[in-house]
Amino acid sequence: MGSLKIEIKNNDLRPDVSIVHFDGALDSASVTTINRNFNKLFEGKRLYTIADMSKVTHISSAAVGELMGCRQVLTEKGGDLVIAGLNLDVKTKMNQLGATKIFKFHNDLRTAMNAYSWQIEQKPEKVWISFPPELNFVPPVRQFVSRITRQKGYGQRDSFRIETIVDEACNNAVEHGVPDKARDIELFLKIDRSKLEIEVVNLSDPEKINSLKAISKSILGTEEKKFERGRGLALIKMLSNDLAIDFSGKGTTVHVTKLREE
Amino acid sequence: MESQIDLEYEDIKGQKNAKSVRFIGDLDATNVETVLEKICNLFSEGFINIVADFKKLRYVNSTGLGILLHFSKSAKEKGGSFKIANVNENVYEIIEIIGATSLLEIYDDVEEAVSALQ
Repeated sequence: MGSLKIEIKNNDLRPDVSIVHFDGALDSASVTTINRNFNKLFEGKRLYTIADMSKVTHISSAAVGELMGCRQVLTEKGGDLVIAGLNLDVKTKMNQLGATKIFKFHNDLRTAMNAYSWQIEQKPEKVWISFPPELNFVPPVRQFVSRITRQKGYGQRDSFRIETIVDEACNNAVEHGVPDKARDIELFLKIDRSKLEIEVVNLSDPEKINSLKAISKSILGTEEKKFERGRGLALIKMLSNDLAIDFSGKGTTVHVTKLREE
Repeated sequence: MESQIDLEYEDIKGQKNAKSVRFIGDLDATNVETVLEKICNLFSEGFINIVADFKKLRYVNSTGLGILLHFSKSAKEKGGSFKIANVNENVYEIIEIIGATSLLEIYDDVEEAVSALQ
């Protein structure tokens, strides 16, 4: 019989979250210990539970069954039980027992906490990307953003539209910006479950700023027209839910809001 | 890094001055010049009727669309045509938003586009 230690820790900043640290082998004999510890959790208010299993050396089918039962109770009370930090052997065993269909797995505690913030607290995640003002940097940037949105559960169509918005905004930033490799273009993303906010900031080229202002005035107007110039901005406007362009200061800031539709 | 795009050519049976061109990849600001050169070469060689198969064209942006409009205009000026087939719904949406559906000749599939050459 292997030894098992279970320790429950709380984070003062997360009043809904419990972290259960397992250390050792979760064999058949450990079921009673697991049950006793989770019974304490069921009586409290910290019902979103992260099982830190980074120090688990073995897991039996009986222990997996017990954890499934614990998760059932937690979900019925409005919480959840997710698993973090499994080593490959233990994860393979849990996979063979069908546990991967029941539990959400995270690579580590930090990822599990981030998932909690995203899913339960619905807090947005922020991404900042900085790249030189050259066209060749734009495709990997737009594809990276598209992959983020897919990973966050946005649909294929939304992700394609977001890829287009980012592409057009970044291309404009390159085209109308100062071609100084030392002055990066900055892309800020704020993504939550319902919308994505995109901000592209560049250092404007004084010689091009007036033509950009004229194009944006035309695009942001309400009349319908065939766009010979400024097709990129027209696309952004049509694909997004809000578009604002700020020419104040030395730079140009394009701010786009895209609501999730799928 | 330039976006990946490959063009594959195929003769069209019974049409000496026509070529079918498969677009494979993404068409954007980083590779429009390459595509422009290749299609203009076809025009120069006398292939004034082009059927562009977009089945494997994943992505097009406003710059790419601009070049497609240019091909359509150039082909017409030479007495030919630039027809597009198999457009996926994402790419079609971009074409539609720009208001180019009436400017480009778009067909459901290559067979239909080839038939329209007759």
